[in-house]
Amino acid sequence: MAAPKAYELRTKNKAELTKQLEELKQELASLKVQKVAGGSAGKLTKISAVRKSIARVMTVITQTQRAQLRLFYQKKNFLPLDLRVKKTRAIRRRLTKHEASVKTVKQQKKDIHFPLRKYAVKA
Amino acid sequence: MSINSNTINRTGGNPAPSDKNKALAAKKAALKGVNGQKARKIRTSTTFNRPKTLKLARSPKYARKSVPHVPRLDQYKVLKTPLNTESAMKKIEENNTLVFIVDVKSNKRQIKDALKKMYDVTALKVNTLIRPDGNKKAYIKLTADVDALDVANKIGFI
Repeated sequence: MAAPKAYELRTKNKAELTKQLEELKQELASLKVQKVAGGSAGKLTKISAVRKSIARVMTVITQTQRAQLRLFYQKKNFLPLDLRVKKTRAIRRRLTKHEASVKTVKQQKKDIHFPLRKYAVKA
Repeated sequence: MSINSNTINRTGGNPAPSDKNKALAAKKAALKGVNGQKARKIRTSTTFNRPKTLKLARSPKYARKSVPHVPRLDQYKVLKTPLNTESAMKKIEENNTLVFIVDVKSNKRQIKDALKKMYDVTALKVNTLIRPDGNKKAYIKLTADVDALDVANKIGFI
């Protein structure tokens, strides 16, 4: 099928994609058998194309799956761990921007009434 | 004229029957305390076993993995390639067996199922070994009603 393009794959639904994945895997299996039996050069180069097509289909499947899951979990309190932000362990444990900026009422009043003054010397 | 124990036991003070009951209650309270006593369990064995307590099933607030993985070792992954070396061909012709390179993580049952799914052949028995280069080789003996040579032709690696 001349290597499916990713944007064409995205229009398909999950059932069609899994079916295409099966077909590609079968094609790969037959190509591997032909390699053992001394296949022609054309067949052998096709192996890498088929492998990449399989990767492409799997990528589209997981991408759409995860996008749907994120929609599903949008309103909920707790996300599954693999949908949460990854960054680094230390960054995940830092105070959030809001938590770090919170001040006591006492401190807020002080800041309002006694801000840092700027002075200049007249030339 | 009945002799009432009440009258005999009455000493100075002459208590009435209800007062007698009060006196007995007071005696009991003084000796045994007012809190009531727990009934002691009768232990018929010298062994003390941990009492069975409530075990709740899990009810997680969120799934740890968003979606479970598709099975990692499917039929296409189990059987990698057939072998058509001289000794493998000998096995096909003489012993009615096919020789495959299979995934190292697969076991004989998985190899049998994979063969069934991919090529619709039943295996009689499977022998495996791990080659020195790290791959697993499977000798798959087919049932007597199929000919290994035909199957090999059908698969395409003769």
